[in-house]
Amino acid sequence: MHQKKRENGNLHINTMQYMKPAFRNVAPYCHVYSRSLNPDPLLLVSPFWRPETFRLSVPVSCFSSSMAEPQSSLEKQFDSFRVQLEQSGTLRGRIRSVVSEIESSTRLIYATLLLVHQSRPTPGLLEKAKSQVNVLKEQYKELSEVLGGSSGQYYRYHGDWKSETQTVVSMLTFMHWLETGSLLEHKEAEEKLGLGSDFGLDVEDYLIGVCFMSNELPRYVVNQVTAGNYDCPKKVLKFLTDLHAAFRMLNLRNDLLRKKFDGMKYDLRKVEEVYYDVKIRGLTPNGELIGDLEIKEPKDNRLL
Amino acid sequence: MLHSLHKFSLFMASKPQRLHQVAENNFQGSAKRVRTMATSTAIEPAMKDAFTGYAEYLNDLNDKRERVVKASRDITMNSKKVIFQVHRMSKFNKVEVLEKAEKDLAAVTDQYVSRLVKELQGTDFWKLRRAYSPGIQEYVEAATFCCFCKNGTLLELDEINKTLLPLNDPSLHPLQINVLDYLLGLADLTGELMRLAIGRISDGELEFAEKICKFVRDIYRELTLVAPLMDDNSDMKTKMDVMLQSVMKIENACFSVHVRGSEYIPLLGTDDPSSFLVGVPDIEL
Repeated sequence: MHQKKRENGNLHINTMQYMKPAFRNVAPYCHVYSRSLNPDPLLLVSPFWRPETFRLSVPVSCFSSSMAEPQSSLEKQFDSFRVQLEQSGTLRGRIRSVVSEIESSTRLIYATLLLVHQSRPTPGLLEKAKSQVNVLKEQYKELSEVLGGSSGQYYRYHGDWKSETQTVVSMLTFMHWLETGSLLEHKEAEEKLGLGSDFGLDVEDYLIGVCFMSNELPRYVVNQVTAGNYDCPKKVLKFLTDLHAAFRMLNLRNDLLRKKFDGMKYDLRKVEEVYYDVKIRGLTPNGELIGDLEIKEPKDNRLL
Repeated sequence: MLHSLHKFSLFMASKPQRLHQVAENNFQGSAKRVRTMATSTAIEPAMKDAFTGYAEYLNDLNDKRERVVKASRDITMNSKKVIFQVHRMSKFNKVEVLEKAEKDLAAVTDQYVSRLVKELQGTDFWKLRRAYSPGIQEYVEAATFCCFCKNGTLLELDEINKTLLPLNDPSLHPLQINVLDYLLGLADLTGELMRLAIGRISDGELEFAEKICKFVRDIYRELTLVAPLMDDNSDMKTKMDVMLQSVMKIENACFSVHVRGSEYIPLLGTDDPSSFLVGVPDIEL
């Protein structure tokens, strides 16, 4: 494998050496080479160009392979570093491509869930979202397989799927709440995604995901009331009050989780205001009004 | 202000019943709110249990992180002391200075690096990397510095990791420095070597300075190929720029010595064969 890389590498390097004679420029050039997502025009010149190679930096031993002398211990060490780091770079590339698929699936689920803002929730909607979650489950399985033997290095690459996973958790918890009115727990969320001990759901990711879910609730409540669902504010208020109080049990340091939790009180306040608005006007769950203001019958659904 | 107050009181007066209702609801609402926040028993029990678990998890994680950061700070401080000790080296006390430095380094390993072993088991090794990395980098810097001054060679990662093996409890996974921290520490080493080289030149030890120059050039060369491959290498990029500056400073110093050899006055009593007395032409540039 090493040998094969060298052969490709020599051709690459010969091309490169003609293009970039200045030694000192090699370092920044290598950096661009390895970070760029766009095919490098120089690569297209080489018949050995493969789509994955633009993720790799300068191939192995381009300098020492041209020398006849045996490698010193120093060179051997750095050679082995190069191989190691190239491997981890390749792995990271594969992880990132699976994560971008996860991101696409998540967007689809989000688009489906956005429909709950337009009317009262229908079972059909949740079923559709659930089937989309199955796609996600497959993708997380793939992610776990890509990480494969290096599962001890979960946290080395964690940054690459952290924010996507937080979004996924927020969606799963929202769906669960729409269905059951209760909070999806960490273990349950892990199970829904088919994650386990080797490749788990980080607890902080879960908690941040829950905070993102609470951000959705004020808008949901406003739209439900508009659609005539006057029971909703009371339920949401109880849930969010409990959630906020539960979060207060945590000792948080000044990080993203803390910031998101601080934002939750604004969500709570908005929901309280909606609840207040509904309550003082005496709107009851079945839509009748007590008082002197006129209102159209909610079952009219003229808003749809 | 008064005008709006007046309007407000009119408004209040015209709907006394509704207002009373509002006030009552509000009062009840806020009282309930206070009660819910003050006593956690009002939280739905399943949620409360779950969050008790999360609180425990976060507390343990943060406590561990604190301990690792403290250990890392101690390692940094004491490694820096080792480096200062090595800098005290001069032509006459080289052996004693290096001996003391090695002893101090061994003490850092036994007393401070050992504290990390227990904490960094399992996934914590990568999870808490940001907490201990600065300490380990400084440690690598100190260790490689001592090794170069003593033997003229680069202390390799495998060798450092071998010295860490005895720290362990056989039941625990051994602490091994990862390649990223090693390379970051190596990048800082060149800065210290630059200081050393300049110091040696003013002491008249030109040969040693040239050895340092060659060594630093080799390291820089190898690192240019490896640095771009490192995980989130923005740190390393900056270090590479600084390293190039250090390399150039050493090269310029060697150049000055070489070119202005006739102006160099070595210390009295030196019999350094590379001194200006040996066949240097009497030409100034």
